[in-house]
Amino acid sequence: MAELSNTLFFTAFGLYIAAMVAYFFRMAFTRATVDGVLASTRAGERAGIAATGLAVAGATAHLGSVAARGIAADRVPWANMYEYSSVMALIAVVAGLVVVQRRMGYGHLMGFVLAPAVIMMAAGAMLFVPAGPTVPALESYWLKIHVTAMVSASAIFILAFVATSLYLAKDTAEQRVAARSGQRYAAGTVGAASIDLESDTAKAPAGAGPAIGSPLELRRVMSPVWFGVFPAVFFLVWGLAKYDVVRGMSMAPVGALLGVAAWYALPYLPSAAQLDALAYRLTAFALPIFSFAIICGAIWAEEAWGRYWGWDPKETGSFFTWVLYAAYLHARATHGWRGRRAAWIGAGAFVALMVTYFAVNLFVVGLHSYAT
Amino acid sequence: MTETTKQQGAPAEPAPTGWARLPMIPGPWETLVILWRRLRKMSTALVLLFTLALASIVATFIPQEPAIPQTVAQWRAGTDGPGETVASMLDAAQLFDVFGSWWFAGIMVLLLVSLTGCLVPRYRAFARVVRRPPVAGRNLERLSNHARIGTSLAPDDALAEVDHMLARRRFRRRGLDADATASGHRQIAAERGHWREGGNLLFHSAFYVLLIGVAVGQAFGFTGQINVVEGSTFTDTRIVYGAVQTGRYFGLDDHRGFQVRLDDFAATYHGNGTPDAFVSRVTILEDGREVMTNAPVEVNHPLVYDGMKIFQIRFGMAPHVVVRSGDTVLFDDRVMLGDSDNDGVWTGAAKVTTAPEQQIALDLVLLPSFDVDQQGRAITRGQEPDNPVLFADVWFGALGLERAVGASEFIREGEPVAGTTLVPGRTSDELVGDLTVEFADLPMWSGFQVSHAPGRWLLLIAAGLLLTGLTASLYGHRRRVWAEAWRNDDGTTTVVLAGVALQRKVVFAEAFAGMTEHLRTALPAAERAGQEVSLEAHHG
Repeated sequence: MAELSNTLFFTAFGLYIAAMVAYFFRMAFTRATVDGVLASTRAGERAGIAATGLAVAGATAHLGSVAARGIAADRVPWANMYEYSSVMALIAVVAGLVVVQRRMGYGHLMGFVLAPAVIMMAAGAMLFVPAGPTVPALESYWLKIHVTAMVSASAIFILAFVATSLYLAKDTAEQRVAARSGQRYAAGTVGAASIDLESDTAKAPAGAGPAIGSPLELRRVMSPVWFGVFPAVFFLVWGLAKYDVVRGMSMAPVGALLGVAAWYALPYLPSAAQLDALAYRLTAFALPIFSFAIICGAIWAEEAWGRYWGWDPKETGSFFTWVLYAAYLHARATHGWRGRRAAWIGAGAFVALMVTYFAVNLFVVGLHSYAT
Repeated sequence: MTETTKQQGAPAEPAPTGWARLPMIPGPWETLVILWRRLRKMSTALVLLFTLALASIVATFIPQEPAIPQTVAQWRAGTDGPGETVASMLDAAQLFDVFGSWWFAGIMVLLLVSLTGCLVPRYRAFARVVRRPPVAGRNLERLSNHARIGTSLAPDDALAEVDHMLARRRFRRRGLDADATASGHRQIAAERGHWREGGNLLFHSAFYVLLIGVAVGQAFGFTGQINVVEGSTFTDTRIVYGAVQTGRYFGLDDHRGFQVRLDDFAATYHGNGTPDAFVSRVTILEDGREVMTNAPVEVNHPLVYDGMKIFQIRFGMAPHVVVRSGDTVLFDDRVMLGDSDNDGVWTGAAKVTTAPEQQIALDLVLLPSFDVDQQGRAITRGQEPDNPVLFADVWFGALGLERAVGASEFIREGEPVAGTTLVPGRTSDELVGDLTVEFADLPMWSGFQVSHAPGRWLLLIAAGLLLTGLTASLYGHRRRVWAEAWRNDDGTTTVVLAGVALQRKVVFAEAFAGMTEHLRTALPAAERAGQEVSLEAHHG
């Protein structure tokens, strides 16, 4: 069973990468016409079907891997960092397929949903431990409740982060296009504020969309160099800090590739306003689950350690993350903060989530240090 | 704390006259008013939230004294961390105890004041809005969602049907007579979604409950730790506990005075050496009478007795060591050993005699599953004591045992005078003079945390309110629906359904489409349907 789980894990890993490439192909074979309509070519349609098929197959294999792992270890299969990363990636992919692609119809986002899932799986695979029982402190039904809620919330936060970072890129592009065509209104930020909030003051006048000229203009106003350089540097630093020079150097091109893909995708992405609304809805969905997870964690801590909150590094980290997400929601409802500023806070909150998950488990000694 | 910015517009001050025009330095009252206004601002709340976040980052990366005092001590001494100077600066800013510092308390108080400032006016506004019945609508067909439906029913019956539908969808409804509406037709005004603001207020108010719960726990609570060897008993009194954290209102008399005897401790392991379970079995006695026997205390399963919770927090080996000088027993005790590196090597010390200049102490090392590796070094194969071997080094002289220091600390100068290796039941040969050491047997010791934690139910309630409020405020959305009906000249009836949502407009547009769809099937179509049944729903 443990063997099967590992095989399926790497099968899913491969299928996800193939699906990601196919989603990007789909984009490349979609024509963006002058009036902003996206017209799929036949090759693009086929690539899209193949991509969806590959992603669904990958998710199925992944589900099999998680289930087999659970049977092999005879417990819930998300009790160490390898398993947690795997389940987080699985939930992100499934939620991406169901919500982002099927429900919202933002198929072009899927490549960017699969990318963090693949990265998460790779990072998890480096922390692989054989299937086995856990330490007594983890043997509690609270493991099921607390960790399940936490892993679900984290996975949804991944999707929200994808939407947020793409929003920031798209919004910049839209604003630049608007500025070049002499418009005062950049539909992006302003429209975003009016989509889901109580503000009636900030409605863009009808027709003041960014679709002036070709949507390809969006790509022309942005430099692909920076799109490549920023993630490359980020991945390099990450690789150097966590692993070694070789892995750092090999991770950098992956980041660069993803960044350039985001640049290439600018005309195909949903509008900045839609991306912002998506990010908000996803965060609003995940935050109560995240809060529930923290509360369960506190109840469990009371049962296991005799105190509900002790500012253990993990507790501090999750408090920090929670405060930032709360600040994000508040910022979206405050004049002068909504739009880009709020999005930066949201992105920062996600970084905090990841630091709390990876760094606190691996680098800081605390009660949650059960990575291996 | 959303949308407070709208209320910030202070009424225009009357122009100052005379001498009051000159000095613009605000007086104490004005300063207070200005501060209060500033604190009530949403952006202030955001900045405070960021400061809170910043404080918690600092606390993640600077060791915190309540959590890891040893590391903090090392930082202060300069043996670890950035050095003594930096450590003293950190100390001055209370950065070794961020969450207990005055400035953290200050941020919390400011946040609370800001929260109160935001909440009070919103409570008032909410109370007003909730009590107000749904308002009449006008120009229904100019609203972002509207539809016309033709039916053969009489207007009143059609409206009854609409009313029924809105009731099923849990709208608050109000019927308006024809003379009360702008259009001159009978109208139903309906409204839903006060839960958004209600949830918002609930969520934020829950913080007060949370705070009270924490305060009650702090003031009336008690936490202490104690280690006991199998067969031993401890009494619930203040002096027996270490690492005591006690609230101001938990006095010495509040200890229950019951006794806890550790009958047995068992640590079991899986085949690969990872621990499976740690279980202490205890008997609880009141005045020597057994009231609870064979009660298990396990990780994740604390024992509750008389308002006190007993947690399993650590365990160890406690070899029974007897030291004799000839036939005189100098020391007969079970020595609790610790495994500080978590590598299966248990260490500790036994302080045998405390007579000045004649002091004897033993350094003890226990390998629970003794073996010798290929290089000839002593190792332990695992955690289970299936082949325990005790190494004892004897120290003699002025060891400083009279000082009040930690259990395993004494002055180790030069070399131990003798050493011996023992298995259970063995007594050593005469080591120094006629001194012998016996390793009688190997019981376990168990470490408990005993705590009294009142006010937990308040925290649970607060958590429940927080979650309910948060979910309601994120999913609730206010929407209003109006319906009018009138009879046309040809005897058919036209129903106009219209609605607006203040939030989540896309979701509402779908729901509105569902409502019109429902009415089109529920209301019998007009004889001469035709153009009357045009359904136009504009989503915006």
